[in-house]
Amino acid sequence: MLIYTLLAGLLFGLYFSLMGLGLNLMFGVMRIVNLAHGDFLMLGAFLAFWLFNLFALNPIPGVAVAFALFLLAGLPLYYLLVPRLLAARDPEMLSFILFFGFSQVIEAVATIAFGTSERSIPGGSMARAAAAVASLLDLAYRPGPIAFLGQSFPVAWLAAGIVSALAVLLIYVYLYRTRLGYLTRAVMASREEAISTGIDVHRVSAIAFGIGIALAAVAGVFVPFMLGSITPAMGVDVTITSFAVIVIGSLGNPLGTVLGGILYGVSYMFMQSYYSSWANLLPYLLLIAVLLVRPSGLLGRQVRRA
Amino acid sequence: MKAETLLLAVGIEAGYGRVQVLWGIDLAVLERETVVLLGANGAGKTTLLKTLLGLVPAWRGAVRFLGEEVTAWRTDHRVRRGMAYMSETAVFPGMTIEENLLIGGQFLSGSALRRRTGELYAIFPALGERKRALASSLSGGQRKMLGIAKALAGDPRLLVMDEPSAGLSPLFVKEVIRVLEQFRSRGLTLLVAEQNVKFLELADRVYTLEGGRIGFAGTVAAMHENDALKRAYFGLK
Repeated sequence: MLIYTLLAGLLFGLYFSLMGLGLNLMFGVMRIVNLAHGDFLMLGAFLAFWLFNLFALNPIPGVAVAFALFLLAGLPLYYLLVPRLLAARDPEMLSFILFFGFSQVIEAVATIAFGTSERSIPGGSMARAAAAVASLLDLAYRPGPIAFLGQSFPVAWLAAGIVSALAVLLIYVYLYRTRLGYLTRAVMASREEAISTGIDVHRVSAIAFGIGIALAAVAGVFVPFMLGSITPAMGVDVTITSFAVIVIGSLGNPLGTVLGGILYGVSYMFMQSYYSSWANLLPYLLLIAVLLVRPSGLLGRQVRRA
Repeated sequence: MKAETLLLAVGIEAGYGRVQVLWGIDLAVLERETVVLLGANGAGKTTLLKTLLGLVPAWRGAVRFLGEEVTAWRTDHRVRRGMAYMSETAVFPGMTIEENLLIGGQFLSGSALRRRTGELYAIFPALGERKRALASSLSGGQRKMLGIAKALAGDPRLLVMDEPSAGLSPLFVKEVIRVLEQFRSRGLTLLVAEQNVKFLELADRVYTLEGGRIGFAGTVAAMHENDALKRAYFGLK
């Protein structure tokens, strides 16, 4: 039971890292808090649901579709919302209000468009995707749970863990191994020095904004398997969980999100296994504890700069 | 042969909110010349440099660079055209020496950037030996050297510097002047805002800034002939 809880916690931890990654990237680059983050995740979940139901597209290729669509949507959305926000005297505070309003609009429009009924994608779809991958790689696999270190897990959990780990790795490569990544980290370190150096901060920020909501949409694809059913009202809870994850890791440091996510995931699984009725309190308790004991997050200020 | 005017500012007025800082500034920098802008704290040196770079909008007046009117241009467009700015902060402390140079040379192609960083490491061997070190691990003087290297990584036509001597010991000030002299002899055009008169060693021409207005414009020799300026800037009676 203990090993199972720990391993499941790690898988969920990776998934929670993915949930928080985009929110933290946006905060790091623009110093704005996107309270509509959970709503973009909800839209990603609905996209996966409709792709599966209308075109029989499996959620795994659905990840690529969600990333590309939301990245493209994020660029104009940035220019519509953020530059004016950043020109304000207190953009951080104003971003709370603006994105809270935006979150309400997304939820209302989604309710009108999709209704309030709960949606889901059958878990068997993931097992079929795994079987297809196994046959391509010439591996023996019968659709069903996968054994890992002596424990048995749903395929969807492993898929979510793998996709999340890949997303973290790609964000690391983007930030630390590409020219655009260097410029992005420079804006994160000091927006003013970045402008003085001649960096086009709006171009860099727009791309980070697009990647931020695209990562939320990718996390959304796995909602039916990791968080339960899809509803237009799910955004608020997801935003709070994502916020807890990034505050625990380190606000403004995207890679600190991984530490926050894993700590949150393991704690969440232990609560679910041993004190399940208390599990929903976890994000709030961890938020309060971290803000009281170490407000700069576990990785602290040192790594926040770049 | 007459040198080309690289940078020309005419009637610049600027400030923050409702507070006007600059009052009708006229300034010119010719190609391959070093101009020192001398002024005390609060005289408006940084505001003037930021206005020339587009970091602070000009309320009135015009800025021309390489013959083009750039008053309404964004800073990144001016940098791409050939201006570079070294602020007092100068570097990104949380990033490595190499990353700072790559950011400074962001507009160059991959091969040109590699060539340029190689040249800069040859001029600043102490930086070349510690490419992977964080800028925050460098001493104040070394950070200033990295700031100069970062500003020059894009191979600019004009380097605009804001108080390169700030926070440095006299020994490092001498070293900064020596390095700038080296680049000057290679044809780099410099506009340096300073309150340290040591930098006049580099100057072809001097502007003094007092209360947001140009007080004196001319050569260092002409400045020495002016008793009031000698008293104000050199402490001579």
